[in-house]
Amino acid sequence: MNNPLPRLPEFEYIRLETIEKAAQFLKDHPGEAAPYLGGTDLFVGLRDRRKQPKYLVDLKHLEGLNSLTFDPAKGLTIGARVTLNQLIDHRDVQKNYPILCQAAKQVGGYQLRNRATLCGNICNASPCGDTIGPSMVYQGSVNIFGPDGTRSLPLEDFFLGPGKVALVDGEIVHSITLPLPPEGSQGMYLCHGRNKLSDLAIAAVSVLAYPDLTSASGFRFRIALSAVAPTVVIVEEAQVLLSENPIEPSHFEKAAHIARQSCKPIDDIRSSAEYRRELVYTLTSRALNQVWDSLQSV
Amino acid sequence: MKKSQKILALIGTNIPRVDIQEKMTGEALFTDDIQFGVKLLYARIKRSPHAHALIKSIDTSRAEKLPGVRAVVTGADFSGRIGLYLKDRHIIARNRVRYIGEPVAGVAAVSEAVAEKALDLIQVEYEPLPALFLPQDAIKPDAPLIHPDLGEYEVVNFIFPKPGTNISNHFKIRKGDMKNAWKNCAAIVENEYYIPHIQHVPLETHVAVAKVDLSGKITLWTSSQSPFAQRDLIAKTWGMSPADIKVISPYVGGGFGCKAGVTMEALPVLLAMKVKGCPVKLRLTREEEFYTNFVRQALLIRLKMGCDAEGNILAMENTMYWDGGASTEYGVNITRAGGYSSTGPYDIPNVKTDSYCVYTNNTIGGPYRGFGMSELHTGIEQCVDELANKIKMDKVAFRMRNVVESGDILATGMVMHPTGIKACIEKVAEAIEWGKPSEPSAPHKKRGKGIALMWKAPAMPPNPGSSATLKFNSDGTVFLSIGGQEIGQGAFTVAAQIAAAGLGVPMDWIRISKPLDTDYSSYEWQTVASRITWTMGNAILDAAKDARKQIFKIVAKAWKENKKDLEIKDGIVYSTNTDKKISLKDFVITGIPKKKDQGWIGGPIIGRGKFMPTYVTGLDKDTGQGKRAVVHYTTGAQGFIVEVDTLTGKLEIIKAVSAFDVGKAINPDLVKAQIEGGMVQGISSALFEQLVFKEGVLQNPNFVDYRIATTMDLPDKMESYYIEVPQDDGPFGARGIGEHPMVPTIAAIANAINDAVGIRLEGPPFTAEKLFMAIKAQNKSVD
Repeated sequence: MNNPLPRLPEFEYIRLETIEKAAQFLKDHPGEAAPYLGGTDLFVGLRDRRKQPKYLVDLKHLEGLNSLTFDPAKGLTIGARVTLNQLIDHRDVQKNYPILCQAAKQVGGYQLRNRATLCGNICNASPCGDTIGPSMVYQGSVNIFGPDGTRSLPLEDFFLGPGKVALVDGEIVHSITLPLPPEGSQGMYLCHGRNKLSDLAIAAVSVLAYPDLTSASGFRFRIALSAVAPTVVIVEEAQVLLSENPIEPSHFEKAAHIARQSCKPIDDIRSSAEYRRELVYTLTSRALNQVWDSLQSV
Repeated sequence: MKKSQKILALIGTNIPRVDIQEKMTGEALFTDDIQFGVKLLYARIKRSPHAHALIKSIDTSRAEKLPGVRAVVTGADFSGRIGLYLKDRHIIARNRVRYIGEPVAGVAAVSEAVAEKALDLIQVEYEPLPALFLPQDAIKPDAPLIHPDLGEYEVVNFIFPKPGTNISNHFKIRKGDMKNAWKNCAAIVENEYYIPHIQHVPLETHVAVAKVDLSGKITLWTSSQSPFAQRDLIAKTWGMSPADIKVISPYVGGGFGCKAGVTMEALPVLLAMKVKGCPVKLRLTREEEFYTNFVRQALLIRLKMGCDAEGNILAMENTMYWDGGASTEYGVNITRAGGYSSTGPYDIPNVKTDSYCVYTNNTIGGPYRGFGMSELHTGIEQCVDELANKIKMDKVAFRMRNVVESGDILATGMVMHPTGIKACIEKVAEAIEWGKPSEPSAPHKKRGKGIALMWKAPAMPPNPGSSATLKFNSDGTVFLSIGGQEIGQGAFTVAAQIAAAGLGVPMDWIRISKPLDTDYSSYEWQTVASRITWTMGNAILDAAKDARKQIFKIVAKAWKENKKDLEIKDGIVYSTNTDKKISLKDFVITGIPKKKDQGWIGGPIIGRGKFMPTYVTGLDKDTGQGKRAVVHYTTGAQGFIVEVDTLTGKLEIIKAVSAFDVGKAINPDLVKAQIEGGMVQGISSALFEQLVFKEGVLQNPNFVDYRIATTMDLPDKMESYYIEVPQDDGPFGARGIGEHPMVPTIAAIANAINDAVGIRLEGPPFTAEKLFMAIKAQNKSVD
């Protein structure tokens, strides 16, 4: 029996005027301070005592973190405190990053998404975080502010394991950048939960594909699998198969088969590993076929 | 206007709920909203981490010394036992713990946080014992005994424990000649089904505040379906007079059975006895609710059914092993109800039933909407489908042939009353276009249709009473005092409707006296068993009759007319003889002046009424036979069209249809709301819900992993119908409909799945994963 009497621990709420000060505070209190944005995972973790920071460093008010900007040349920059509902409602996001919208809508319920942020969903680094796969197929990167300056890191290099990301003490992800998707791209996010609303994904697939005259097939595909390994899996082999050979309908099944082989799911209360593997196959095959149909009909 | 016409204006009308404004605005008062001032203390409970263990020692000394702690209690503080039908439960464990989460100590302190700190300071030494988690293991002759003292427990006379075993009730039916019956069968099916534990998960977790005053009198504020039963149980447990206990119950944020009887409410009482004058509040966390509250018992059901070549069901053998959990104080009666209703709504001449209530070291089983009937019908209605298959008959025609009808002798010997179940079947079959294939939306999807029937009687002692009081105010408005609780089902609205119709006053003249308070409210056994509209409704009508009698006496005397010529409509008394009129406003408190100022006639009017069934008889211990086992049966049917995605196992409900015979729909909208709500709860239990235990430890004590159907999971098309074959002793012919709509749901969906993909799972929930794996295995076996 887990503790049947969960309770928020005592913590100190820290609110500093600048990101520099916030970063310094985080650096000065390694292991004791946690950044606080939407708090939708943080507070559950605190209540269950999975996380026990002494300090919560609020970042919500910091300048620039609330900006959501789209530049047709550079792409989309999403400030750390932009909520999922702000993202979902944004016309440029809907138009240019539809898979991200599809995935964001799967996170919790509407009320939760009024607080939850994309940045939080990504930094939380849960294998089943809905927005991670889409952000990866859009080749996003995190923009990090630290006591020693700023840096950007592609999402592919950001995730180290469940709940673990490549940040050092004092570093704050202040925004996420998604470059403009390639011309003519089509995509799809398919996830499977136990019921339709507000469940955690037990398996999910993100697919993005676009015409590319330099590839043998005339297209390039990006495929990411969620909730079926410690971190999101990019199915490199299937991507190569679909890009370096002329497209045949059977290739999609083959790619789905490769996806099934590439994941390393676990058995847990939500699903058996075996079922997760089967879902990866079906969802990948479905997503690829549907994306292919969209590419053809454009 | 004739009496019958006047009643029709209110009865059978969709009058808006009387509690609608309070609830929509958030003003409605719930237990946790009540303010108790600075003397309030907070309780926390230390719980057993072992499923079965002896308590070697408890040391509370350090907890007692913690600043802010006002009282600590353990099993040593109270040796008595509590229980509704079988007194087998200690309020706090003594010597032995029997399930994970059982209370072993309680603390009252100035804050919940301090109380929790104190819990950590309590040292308990255990000696683990072998534990039992399956009823089929617990009934083995060499199984360790969970209640070695079972033979000494106080028990009601219709429950039959078997001391020296883990069986706390064995209900039997022996009817007809089983041996020869099987010989005459052209088809026989035998099947086993397992229905797992689920929980009620009300939005409002359990909460109770107890105060013991300096003279020892108890006041208890609780979220409760049964303030009177709580009062009486607590009185009995402590050997007190019910008059010295006052239970106050405001609105309930979801009951579904889990707030019936006494569950956690005795804990703050025990603590409050140590800190007289201070209210002590115990409010369960969601985790505690999941870990420690009553659950719907799991059931292992083995069925054997046979029919002749024409499709007449000749025999049934029904063996049920109910996982009663660590205490079966309330649960024993579920297993009795499962026993006497064990044939389902079918006329079967030869019946052998054994319903066993079995102790295990799982969480305590208790009442849950349906009281055993969902579990029972999940077995029966799938088995009936299989039998129809085997004899190659249409499943609807097979049911129409065998279903109970008025005059049938039931398995217990009771004679069936008129019922509209055939009309329900027809309605459902028509609405889902039974017999006509439904085209799937994609090649990898398969559709199927399924139907299931149900019956259920109010499960209760033979003689639960109801009462009602109508007190007039000087403007003709009426306070209606009842003890039936508003748990969301609309009881207060229906009560007001019946009172207004019974008296002949406008609906808005009726005010429900609330919150329920056992000192002031009229007695009611419990708001359970789908009995309130029927039994409380009768009491209200009786009270209205009593008030009218007083009114007519006064007016007849004043007008010098015959009482028989008087009527009341819209709050005005009039004479059908002379056209004279007088408003109730003018005399229900003050009376009517005699002519020429020569005195007065009458005085304040108070109508009092009661109802209690007096005709239910006992059943023979060895055969289950008796004259009348129950008061009546509500019957009904449900039909589903489902679509299964064979590549993911995901199930979509395309259409869901219900039809129930409610006798009379007093408020049709509320009836439909009950039908729809119950079916949704049924769908949720069929597709998603299960408490997953591992060695007695609940693995999913949260809403992340205990999934409940959301609005998104519901079918686009839901249709609810009601049939009205009147109940001879129901108010305006009404019968209950609270629990019934979730009873046939699991089976109806299971039958639709079977029709779609040819699969029968051992039991719910029919998750996408289970369906997918079964389809995969099926494909393999075909290859």
